[in-house]
Amino acid sequence: MGKKKRSYPDIEEVLSRPWCYYCERDFEDLKLLISHQKAKHFKCDRCGRRLNTAGGLSVHMNQVHKEALNQVENALPNRQGLDVEIFGMEGIPQETLEQHRTRIVQNFYQAQEDRRIATGNPQPGQAKPPRKKVKMETPEELKKRLAEHKAKVAAAKAAGVSGSPVAGAAPLSVSPGAINNSPYPPPQVPYGTAPTDQQFPAAAAAAAGVAVPPGAQPYTQQPYPAGGYPGYPATAAASLPTRTPGSVEPASGLPQRPSYGNGAAGGAVGDEIDQLIRMAESGVRPARKPEEGEGAATEKKSKKGGRMVYSDDNVSPEERIAQLSRYAWVPPVS
Amino acid sequence: MAPASQYELAQPPSDSVTAVAYAPQSPTRLLASSWDKHVYLYDTHNGSEDAQGTLLNTFQHRAPVLDVCFGATDNVAYSACLDWQVYRIDLETGEKTSVVKHGAPVRCVVHSPQHSLLISASWDQSLQIHNTREPSTPNITIPLPGKPHALAASPSKLVVAMTARLVHIFDLTSLPSLFGSPNPAEVKPWQQRESSLKFLTRAVSCMPNDAGYATSSIEGRVAVEWFEDSAESQARKYAFKCHRQAAPADENGGGGDIVYPVNSLVFHPVYGTFASAGGDGTVALWDAEAKRRMKQYQKFPDNVAALAFSADGKYLAIGVCPGFETGVEDYSGEGKTKIFIRELGDGEAKGKGAK
Repeated sequence: MGKKKRSYPDIEEVLSRPWCYYCERDFEDLKLLISHQKAKHFKCDRCGRRLNTAGGLSVHMNQVHKEALNQVENALPNRQGLDVEIFGMEGIPQETLEQHRTRIVQNFYQAQEDRRIATGNPQPGQAKPPRKKVKMETPEELKKRLAEHKAKVAAAKAAGVSGSPVAGAAPLSVSPGAINNSPYPPPQVPYGTAPTDQQFPAAAAAAAGVAVPPGAQPYTQQPYPAGGYPGYPATAAASLPTRTPGSVEPASGLPQRPSYGNGAAGGAVGDEIDQLIRMAESGVRPARKPEEGEGAATEKKSKKGGRMVYSDDNVSPEERIAQLSRYAWVPPVS
Repeated sequence: MAPASQYELAQPPSDSVTAVAYAPQSPTRLLASSWDKHVYLYDTHNGSEDAQGTLLNTFQHRAPVLDVCFGATDNVAYSACLDWQVYRIDLETGEKTSVVKHGAPVRCVVHSPQHSLLISASWDQSLQIHNTREPSTPNITIPLPGKPHALAASPSKLVVAMTARLVHIFDLTSLPSLFGSPNPAEVKPWQQRESSLKFLTRAVSCMPNDAGYATSSIEGRVAVEWFEDSAESQARKYAFKCHRQAAPADENGGGGDIVYPVNSLVFHPVYGTFASAGGDGTVALWDAEAKRRMKQYQKFPDNVAALAFSADGKYLAIGVCPGFETGVEDYSGEGKTKIFIRELGDGEAKGKGAK
């Protein structure tokens, strides 16, 4: 069965497991459950005989040992009664069945949620956790960043690079490609194998003649390693001495750029993806680990500290009781 | 009709029970000490069908009695009293004589029949050793570094558990020779240990085979360790959680247990298994060798404060009284104190790995 490959069973599997009415333990199959019940709940403590049901044990106790069975051994406090006749899964009251089901379902989803939090992985078929939505921005934010970028580019390129002001004035739908690629379009044009790149070859090519610094020339000759962008940024940075940090930053703010997802992305994008990967590798996981550790620790602490019936580690209950006026003894003054 | 496997003694103490003790010979002679300033003597097997056990006598004290034990015979008892003294009680005549005087309430009293010694531990941070063979000999006083809370004797060792997790083990065999020696205050413990448990020790019991002992704490835990100071023996020691109840699950997924103190521990005199009694109102039988729980008895109506096995190991006396859930500020066990006697089935307390 394909299902078995998953390390965590799904809800149907969990719900289909037979479980013991007396102690709420669940079992792989009915046989195991029955042998569990015989050993744990229906075993005679006088002679060790294992009976099939509580009623059977009661009769046995009565006839063989002349004793009365008052309650089922090893049972949960509210399940010790002899009034229900249980054999395996038979005889469990409907109400209890439903309670159990609700509990299992609750626990299941709780465990799933805990795992999700612990691993940072999304549930199958669910949206990515919010934490990963680094790139999600509202149109307003986007516009704001664009405006900032424009200002920056304008300032940076004011000294004579002609493309920027023009591109900056372009409508929003066009500007991403134009702005970002204007400094380094040539690498993308020749190697822009991704179909999406076709959207702006004209703009890029137009800008190419003007904007590309001479240093970029050898870079365009470089063979692109297919999809090899992780190692790429270093080369790009080396071969593009004029690139300013300012031009990298805005690139990250423009997720719609068509060439984003493929290996033919520009240096700036490579950096960004790389950064994302690095974040995914270093940022997300360490953030998760301490969380896990702390969680376990605090849970333990609360278990120990918060719920002890008597927790005074220096004064015994007897000493305290001995202080009470009704018990206290005052030595006679001699 | 055979007696039911468990029954409640008629005429229980009027206030919380502090200790129960079986006679060294008769398996039906039981002592109980109580906060109501009395020691009770029962015959656990007489009585009618609906009022089982007979109260043979009561012995009044000036103050609550914190512990009681039998002496060398079935007719001698020693009681540890809040009035700073240990009394020898002649159970026949009811005559009560003070044999030990401390500077604070006496918490525990233990009789070592092998050495004819009576050892008492008091909150004045001292032990006193009384020579029961020659009661006129001056007692030996041993100062302790902390307040003792539990005391137990094996055939050759004495284990004292104190505050700050201190555990001192004394060699009983060397003590009798010290009576009358000029400087008995220099008695050094045979071993000094730190408790294996992180919290205040509540009870100590020694293995009848003289190999080791078990301690329990207020934090639902029991530790078993061995006297022998070799690396192998010390590596054998272990501790485990018990007497806890899962708290009812809330929205946060429940979380945590209610942790009860383990009030009493007793080793079975024949099989070397032991019973523990907890504030959760349960008594459990443990196999120290196989590290298994053999049995957990049905819940008692309240906190189980005291346990005792009869000398033949056939009966288990269980002292039940209110616990400390509601705090100890207005503590009272009046009307809620009961003593149960459980008759153990054949091999009920017999461990699998032990014998």
